[in-house]
Amino acid sequence: MTTVPVALTRRGMRPLLSARARRLLVGYAYLVPAALCLIGTVVVPIGMAIHMSLYNDVLYKPRDYHFIWLGNYARLAQDPVFWLTLWNSVVWVFGSVGFQFVAGFAAALVLHESFVGRSLARTVILLPWVIPGVVVGLLWEWLYQPNYGVINDILIRLDLLHDRVAWLSNPDLAMPAVVFTNVWRGIPFFAIMLLAGLQAIPGELYEAARVDGAGVLARFWHITLPLLRPIIVVATATRIIWTFNYADLIFVMTNGGPANATQITSTYTLLQAYSNLDFGYAAALSVVLLVVLLVFTAVFLRVTRGVEEVG
Amino acid sequence: MTALLARGNLAERVLRGPVLWSGLAGLTAFALGPFVWILLTSLKDHNELYATPLRYLPHHPTFENYVDAWTSPVTPFSRFFFNSLWVCSVTMVATTAVSVLAGYAIARFRFAGRDALLLIFLVTQMFPSVLLIAPLLAQWRALGLLDTYQALIYSNFSFTVPFTVWMMVGYFSSIPRDLEESAMIDGCSQFGALCRVVLPLAVPGIAATAIFAFVVSWSELLFAISFTSQTEMRTLSAGLLYMVGQYEVQWGPLSAGVIMSTVPVAVLFTFLQRHLIHGLTAGAVKG
Amino acid sequence: MNDRWLLSRRKLLHTLVGTGVIAAGDLGWWEAPFIAPRKAWAAQPVRFQWSVPEPTRIALMNSLVERFNQSQKDFEVRIEYVPQAQARQKLISSISSGSPPDLCQAWDNWIGQFHGMGAVEDITDRVKAWKHQADVQPTAWQTVTIGNQIVSLPLSLTLDAIFYRTDRLKELGLKEPTPDWTWDEFLKIAQAFTKADKNQYGYGMRGAGTWAVLYPSEFAYANGAQVLKDGKVVINSKEAIDAVAWYMDLALKHKVTPPSAATDGFVEIVETFGRGVTSMYQHNSGSVGQQKKNVGADKFATIPVPVGPAKKRATFYFSETLTAFKGGRNKEGAWQFMSFMLEDEPSFMYCKTLGLLPARKSIISRPEFAKDPALSGFVESFPFAIVSPYLAYPGWGGKIDSDGVPLIQQAILGKISAKECLDRFADVLRKEMT
Repeated sequence: MTTVPVALTRRGMRPLLSARARRLLVGYAYLVPAALCLIGTVVVPIGMAIHMSLYNDVLYKPRDYHFIWLGNYARLAQDPVFWLTLWNSVVWVFGSVGFQFVAGFAAALVLHESFVGRSLARTVILLPWVIPGVVVGLLWEWLYQPNYGVINDILIRLDLLHDRVAWLSNPDLAMPAVVFTNVWRGIPFFAIMLLAGLQAIPGELYEAARVDGAGVLARFWHITLPLLRPIIVVATATRIIWTFNYADLIFVMTNGGPANATQITSTYTLLQAYSNLDFGYAAALSVVLLVVLLVFTAVFLRVTRGVEEVG
Repeated sequence: MTALLARGNLAERVLRGPVLWSGLAGLTAFALGPFVWILLTSLKDHNELYATPLRYLPHHPTFENYVDAWTSPVTPFSRFFFNSLWVCSVTMVATTAVSVLAGYAIARFRFAGRDALLLIFLVTQMFPSVLLIAPLLAQWRALGLLDTYQALIYSNFSFTVPFTVWMMVGYFSSIPRDLEESAMIDGCSQFGALCRVVLPLAVPGIAATAIFAFVVSWSELLFAISFTSQTEMRTLSAGLLYMVGQYEVQWGPLSAGVIMSTVPVAVLFTFLQRHLIHGLTAGAVKG
Repeated sequence: MNDRWLLSRRKLLHTLVGTGVIAAGDLGWWEAPFIAPRKAWAAQPVRFQWSVPEPTRIALMNSLVERFNQSQKDFEVRIEYVPQAQARQKLISSISSGSPPDLCQAWDNWIGQFHGMGAVEDITDRVKAWKHQADVQPTAWQTVTIGNQIVSLPLSLTLDAIFYRTDRLKELGLKEPTPDWTWDEFLKIAQAFTKADKNQYGYGMRGAGTWAVLYPSEFAYANGAQVLKDGKVVINSKEAIDAVAWYMDLALKHKVTPPSAATDGFVEIVETFGRGVTSMYQHNSGSVGQQKKNVGADKFATIPVPVGPAKKRATFYFSETLTAFKGGRNKEGAWQFMSFMLEDEPSFMYCKTLGLLPARKSIISRPEFAKDPALSGFVESFPFAIVSPYLAYPGWGGKIDSDGVPLIQQAILGKISAKECLDRFADVLRKEMT
């Protein structure tokens, strides 16, 4: 609760706007640039997509274009592939983000310490994030290739495998394989974000706690985690949302296959939009995904007490 | 100085020593592994790339892949490089500025609709960017911005700004209010408090946000391909895809291109990560 | 911007020789010396989207476009290169946002949908008045005719045949198959080629991409089956089921296919053959140039698909087309460039460099095509080649990708039987017949 000290206003003068109103206005003014950025680039297209989802909109059948209210949504509810993709999406997201978070947090803790070669280590950890997703997909597809890929080659040479494993062609292994690649790519995100958070924690707090006799784990649990909570929540929430919609890797590595084993809702949307040119259905799929994510985020923020301030 | 693992009892020493080093080794090996492979691939010529059994070290290392990629008039990586550098730098600076302001406002001011606004920023990310292409394309065409840097920069905002605003909200939220309040009691305006007290503490967060904005726009591909057509306007990511041929992936030049495209980001990061340092808090918190 | 497309003679040489595409000797083709482009072009350049930008094709297309731009002063063509995985998406987006290019290079199976969107320019009248109209193969015209409108010019033709390793055949002491070899001989050779412990397999089966459905369909035709008969979908007839079951047994029973078959797309089947992991694969002539580089021209040859139990066989034609869009602003320029690309020298140069087959009869009968052993399998397949039956309905193309391919993948993995696969596929096709 901030209270603007009365001393700031000049003695005897009544300001035009109350202090509170002034604060509000200033607050909104700070938001204007961000709002402008978003309205043009995202809000309007989302509105258009919602509109599109209410129509039968198949691009190569323009004569069949008509309003079908919730027709696309009804079709969606009865589409077994859709439900499969929803489940795959859950596996994909929580598998990827879960491991990314754990490994990224570990990396952040490691990189927080000072040691020789720290800046080099930090740069190295960042690298997987830098390559475009499509290239990461191509690269790992090559690494996973059963006949001339490095992974099988090394595992066989080390005698850990006897037969060549077709990582991406086996319906049971394909999803873990793409999740693994996504984890590789996503660790730097968490590492950097959490590292920045760690750096902002004042050292005195730890000193004080040590003096009071708290051990490493206690310090971690009672100081580090609570102070990092807003950042953890933000990073995880945004990453979950982003991963739900991330189609590049799967698109390149397996294209949703084999037999829809790695088809997630966003790749399915792509397929409907660009192979079947059924933009109405694709729009409905996106809207449904949007709603799912909205609900999830609202719940998530409530449960973790979101970005309410610390302490 | 790290106080989390200050010298002390056995647990601390174990964590500091072997656990730290093995963790570091494991993580760097994991991150670096595929890169080593790309590097080796970029130094091989065509015959070595296709040799069976798989060859790891090139017997006749060559730089021809790099030279080809950089100087080739058909895939002018030098030009792609410059385009990416410009677009991403502008995106980074603008995004950071915008999100620092917005993030501070949301973190500090209590106003009606604050929570809803936060959610809206996130909602804009819950939508697959693929479906944004057609309406955005129509927009840019109407504004005459096709094949320009502006179209790419503005489109980049659609996915950098929401996240960076949230990031900054998170970072600002973890800085206790007391510091600003004591500054304002000492006669500072709110904006002054922001500049003099909060920003220095938030430097790690701001650096992280800047890195984030740069890196994600550096690897952005879909918008770059959709909103530009001329080869001179292509970014590095789009340029890399030129190596994916009709029936094969040209791994030699592609690897060289990947290595070349990671270098500037690594350089930028080495510079920026110096700001990912412990904040200046000595004497700031009273009592 | 014009200077970008100006390639000095030395730079052109460097590029072309560097890519190993055209030996210096062939450059005698360029008679006229390069001069600075005359600036008298019309204000509106012709926007031409090219969907396979890789160094070989880029160098080739740049030189052809330069040649065109130099040879006349009414039109200037500017190429826009789009990586091929995104090319179709980009075309769709630009059509729906109202700014399509003037001209694009596209595969014939994309055109049906674009035509349905009302985006494609009808060039029937222009073609009827065109001097080379009769020289283009009739089946080539079929691939670009929708209803009774001709909508594109076929830039090159191709069809599917089998690639095989001649050197390995010799090592195994086997006889070279004759062009009318049968399924049994195919299977015997595939089994002889397969040495799983040495990481070698007989046939690189394709499980991903549209052609994962078309190859087994071609085998089905060899057993007397069809996709459409009297307007009805009969892809799940008994003959088709038997044929596809036999095809799947290659993977399931005889195991002559690599373990990655279910997700192998065209990149993988070309690469695995190129690296010697597979010794046979089915593909169109587009990868011939690649294999000459990877495997060596003397180590492989091509042969038509084998004859089936019904003493028949079929292979599907398809063409790479040049298509103009209704929404384009420079239609005359687009037409001029399209017809230029099908003139003698450009067409010959294009097809020879890339290993594709020209659409014009007079060009394909030249010895460079007719007498090349790597191309003989394709040339010999023309008599029994048919236009892909899947072009009959515009909606089928997308359904093959979204529904057909997963069904075939499940069949390759043995999760569903050939009968179930084809029954479900037939249902999907029937629903899309409007």
